Amino acid sequence: MLCEECHVREATIAVVVRAGEESTTRHLCAGCMKKVHQELIGRPIKDLLSGILSAISDGGGQSELQENTVCPRCGMTLHEFQRTGHLGCAGCYDAFRTQLQPMLLRIHGRVQHAGRRPGWLTEEAAPVAQAAPETETQAAAAAPAAQPARKCPSRRDELTRLMAQAVAVEDFETAAQLRDELRALQAREGQA
Amino acid sequence: MTEERVVLSSRVRLARNYDDLPFATASRIQDADECVARTSRALAQSGEDAGFELIRLADLGELEQRALQESRLISRDLLREPRTAAVLVNRADAVSVMMNEEDHLRIQAIRPGLDLEGAAEDCFRVEQALEKQVRFAFDRQLGYLTACPTNTGTGMRASLLLHLPMLTMNKRMGDVGQIVAKVGLTIHGVYGEGSEALGHVYQISNQVTLGRTEQELTAAVSAVGRQLMDMENALRERALQESRVALEDSVGRAWGILRHARRMELVEFFRHWSQIRMGSALELVPTPIPVLDQLLCEVQEAHLVTPEGTFIGGDNAEEARASRVRQVLRDERGIVE
Repeated sequence: MLCEECHVREATIAVVVRAGEESTTRHLCAGCMKKVHQELIGRPIKDLLSGILSAISDGGGQSELQENTVCPRCGMTLHEFQRTGHLGCAGCYDAFRTQLQPMLLRIHGRVQHAGRRPGWLTEEAAPVAQAAPETETQAAAAAPAAQPARKCPSRRDELTRLMAQAVAVEDFETAAQLRDELRALQAREGQA
Repeated sequence: MTEERVVLSSRVRLARNYDDLPFATASRIQDADECVARTSRALAQSGEDAGFELIRLADLGELEQRALQESRLISRDLLREPRTAAVLVNRADAVSVMMNEEDHLRIQAIRPGLDLEGAAEDCFRVEQALEKQVRFAFDRQLGYLTACPTNTGTGMRASLLLHLPMLTMNKRMGDVGQIVAKVGLTIHGVYGEGSEALGHVYQISNQVTLGRTEQELTAAVSAVGRQLMDMENALRERALQESRVALEDSVGRAWGILRHARRMELVEFFRHWSQIRMGSALELVPTPIPVLDQLLCEVQEAHLVTPEGTFIGGDNAEEARASRVRQVLRDERGIVE
């Protein structure tokens, strides 16, 4: 018998799930059992799963259309990703970006990477960054005025867009978080 | 090092994927082979490969595979697809690059005690060496791209192994779990199945990976680790002051059993080990903590082998375990009077 969760590996474990008076038996493989176990101990993973469900499945009439979205690079469908929780290739992030954004926000609370960047990217970006400042004093004077002004509107647009998406899928909790972030951003801009 | 009384070790792992290959979870055998070939070649060309050994899991027996996992040099998940999985491992420095696990690469480093920054540095050194030769999947907005969205961004998981017997016995772990979850971290038992954390050994790690810097993540895990360490130490001190005899009694009994038992199940070992590890931290037991931490690895199933290197099972394993424990504790003077 195949695992009821992944439908790939052989089910080796039978789990009895009790909800109130009702109980059902689920047949899982060791890998999926581990996931279920993690779900029980680490709530955020449970949030992730419900996040996937609310962000993707509950789209009403839209959901079927969305599920048919295919990654042009590896052929993975959104439905397949929803079932396995794993993306097929780096290209999936572009193909499913709209659906992934609210989910990533739900998991991580933020959707803008802040950590390390690969060397090739800094090299690519370097000429632009180095072109502007002539001297250090000039750079210090010019940078605060020029850079945030260019950066903030895009961040504001992005937050607005994500908030609309969250509202569309009735994810009001995320929408409220985004609203707070947007307000904080506007307050900061107001002060500047 | 006072931290080692509670913190066994620090581990950091980075998830990285090749931009042009299907992710490991969806890949074909030839893609998986390409991942191994490309990674080993890149490390060799970078000149940072000193001390690293390439091991294909398919070339190992089941026992050797498990021994690597018990030493924590590879993850349990790497054993799921032994046909394609491989690891570049530097045993001396406890640095490993797992290939074809959930992601193409899982770069991992372990340091003893509380040193997440050091472990992170070890990972970054390998990552940078590889990156000079290869291109990892990266998105300007989302950071490093991973097979599962729970790892996207930094791809970093920073974790501490903590020994928390007093917090457990005082039934405080429920509260601890809630506090830890509030700050975006997670905690769970490391050994054994089900709810009981064998040996009272827990792992805390960051849950979120996107939108924070690597330094913020290691700092958050270290900070919570320190807080739990202080709580645990305070409870130990209180027990020492308020019920010293009871504490000495339970540590002494555990010591006696480990010193003299002729058969030892793993679950029973964990129970007594936890007592004497705490006893050692409180200077009630002479065995140094690093020796006890090493013993934890040595008594697990795949580490108990005959001199010829074959597996010992069943009752014989219990005898071999008890014998190994006696051997390690034999040199010690005995419990402090």
